[in-house]
Amino acid sequence: MSVSDDTRNDHLLHFTVVNDLREIAVAADRIDEFCSVHGIPTATAYAVNLSVDELLTNTISYGYEDSEEHRIDLKIRRDGDVLTIEITDDGIEFAPDSAKDPDTAASIEDRPIGGLGIFLTRQMMDSFDYRRDGGRNIVTLTKKTGTASPENQ
Amino acid sequence: MEITTETTNGALIARAEGRIDGANARDFESAVQTAVRDCEGAVIIDCENLSYISSAGLRAILLIAKTLGKRQVKFALCSLSDPIAEIFQISGFDQIISTHSSRDEALAAVDS
Repeated sequence: MSVSDDTRNDHLLHFTVVNDLREIAVAADRIDEFCSVHGIPTATAYAVNLSVDELLTNTISYGYEDSEEHRIDLKIRRDGDVLTIEITDDGIEFAPDSAKDPDTAASIEDRPIGGLGIFLTRQMMDSFDYRRDGGRNIVTLTKKTGTASPENQ
Repeated sequence: MEITTETTNGALIARAEGRIDGANARDFESAVQTAVRDCEGAVIIDCENLSYISSAGLRAILLIAKTLGKRQVKFALCSLSDPIAEIFQISGFDQIISTHSSRDEALAAVDS
């Protein structure tokens, strides 16, 4: 991350949530507000919400081996027409690349329950990057805002 | 998230309102499963006031579809918003679950 962007706080939404699934709706409210202020189309806001939801759901449901409270850090930054979403948690290492894409042509009987979250996130976002650093999972996503409208202040 | 049900032309219509996310998808599923337990006619989930669904919500809908499929009860969804319709398309759910643009269309489809 470049230093100059951190000083432009109106372009950055930075907050943390705890490992409780109810925090997903709290995060969604903040993301919707940020997107609304920046004139980001509803479809893009939906895609960002969905991606954050899927990653938080995975981390909160499967990422912790204890029952302690953990904090998950979320950053959403707007640089021109690109949104960058960074989610950092101290959960167990995961391997998003190992998740097999679901067979979206399977019949209703053959369709497995689950396994869609990371797939949907990859489909909705323009890029998906995962790295493990200092005992933390860091997922970085980018998405074009899909609007050329001037920034609202 | 809120579910209200009514019966029209022998079909049970469950109206889903608000968000279905990782936190409440199980509640949504059990509410609908309870509502349709004794249902012999068709089941329609009306999504007109559904603002958001994640993969956890799709999973819940798939479980409901599987339950009803085993009982040979017809099942359809109607009035999906554009972003929700897109999620159905990307996940291939539009191929396995009958979706319609309006409640009337869904009623006609399950009646045929």
